[in-house]
Amino acid sequence: MREEHKILQQVYAAKEDVQAADQLIVAYMPFIKAETGRFLRRMPVEGLDDELSIAMIAFHEAIGGYSRARGAFLNYASLLIRSRLIDYSRREQRHRRNLSLDAPAGEDDAALGETLAAEDDPHEEAVARYATRMEIEELTRQMQAFGVSLHDVADNCPKQQRTLEACRKALRHAQENPELLEAFLKTKKLPLGPLAAAGVERKTLERHRKYLVALLLIATNGYEILRGHLRQVMKGGAAR
Amino acid sequence: MKYLVMECHPGYAILLDEEGRFRKAANLHYKVGQTVRDPVWMRTERRRPARWVRSGIAAAAACLLLFLGVQFYQGYLQPYSFIYLTINPEVRMNLNRQGTVVGLAGTNADGEALLEGYDGRGKNKVTVADELIDRAIEMGFLSDGGRVSFSIDAPDEALFQAYGTELRTEVTEHLDGRILVTLEIVDHDRAQEALARPSASGTATATPAPTPTAIPTPTATPSPEPTRPANTPTAAPPAGDSGYGDSGYDDDGDSGYDDDDGGDSDYDDD
Repeated sequence: MREEHKILQQVYAAKEDVQAADQLIVAYMPFIKAETGRFLRRMPVEGLDDELSIAMIAFHEAIGGYSRARGAFLNYASLLIRSRLIDYSRREQRHRRNLSLDAPAGEDDAALGETLAAEDDPHEEAVARYATRMEIEELTRQMQAFGVSLHDVADNCPKQQRTLEACRKALRHAQENPELLEAFLKTKKLPLGPLAAAGVERKTLERHRKYLVALLLIATNGYEILRGHLRQVMKGGAAR
Repeated sequence: MKYLVMECHPGYAILLDEEGRFRKAANLHYKVGQTVRDPVWMRTERRRPARWVRSGIAAAAACLLLFLGVQFYQGYLQPYSFIYLTINPEVRMNLNRQGTVVGLAGTNADGEALLEGYDGRGKNKVTVADELIDRAIEMGFLSDGGRVSFSIDAPDEALFQAYGTELRTEVTEHLDGRILVTLEIVDHDRAQEALARPSASGTATATPAPTPTAIPTPTATPSPEPTRPANTPTAAPPAGDSGYGDSGYDDDGDSGYDDDDGGDSDYDDD
């Protein structure tokens, strides 16, 4: 009873705090592994079995979706993990019809993937990944000055295409008026009034303030790789 | 679509798609800065509306269902009018607003015998009338020279007229060339009133204006419209035979209809 009460406290704290959620997941890794093992009928290997990652995100979903009305938290989490693993296994079964790059290519033991011409240079790729990581870290640091984290941005990101389009419209307006971006960086405040002049409802901008902060920061100088990834958005179109 | 891994947590990763969406996905051994495809997205539970909103919607749905149920009952199940088919067996047809039979009952012993093993619910009144007449012929209740009376209990005059006309036309057509009978359409309420009212003079004046006769119904050009009181014989009966038998009307020579209209028979001559 006392144990259950303690878990509840941790779960409710994890709902509000990202770090508490991460800590709870780490603390309950044996439980998550056990649930995955029950499904796989063998113990999962960390860093190798995707099923363990799926079980972990299911546990995270359980934290977000839990309420006392759902009964004991661990039972609820167990149910969610199992259903996600079933869904994932069905999805994988559909993909199994595709030829694996690890499949033997011929009489010799070489895998099919090894016989294909390498598309990317691993060294170049590592360098590019490092540069991207540096940009992301810089963005995260800059966002902290605005009191915004990537976790907040993900939670605040528009779900509907129409809202997403409205935010892009505000971004384009800011790009066309560099003084807005300068004022944004200087005051560390989102210029809601001038952005609303682009024909976007102020309420929409206020509702997605954190997302817009990230978008406007990426639009400023210094984020070439991120802007390259979002080139369709930055140019005003939508990626296909 | 390609996704850029922005942040990694033990339970999930934050990815940025090419359309500018930041989303959480399962961390399939991702590293920050990596570009990935085909992620497994985190499911966000849809926010459920407040309890009072859900209660309101449920209450509104219940009210709507109740309303539709009442409408359905009133339109299709609740008896709206009645037709008494009298040969000698007497049968009451309960009709809904659409004129479909929703119930059948024998109002005398022969009527019950006529209905035994027969289910006319859901059928049109004319179909039921035709089928019951056929059964009456088969069971020997109706033969040449017999009389078929439809006593209509309708809430308004227009419906009485419509049902009377339809029954007369359809039944006449149904019996065409098979049997000669007198077809009678009466208003049930008026007939009941007339039966209940004592004779004005106290003497039985033999004014059974209806002098039904065996008719070749189809050839006798039956009036398409029922009249009130609506015995509409179309030919003279054999002498001494009123054609009524034990129809439920008394045999005291009183027609049952009032005579306060100066001796004018209530029956038209069409």
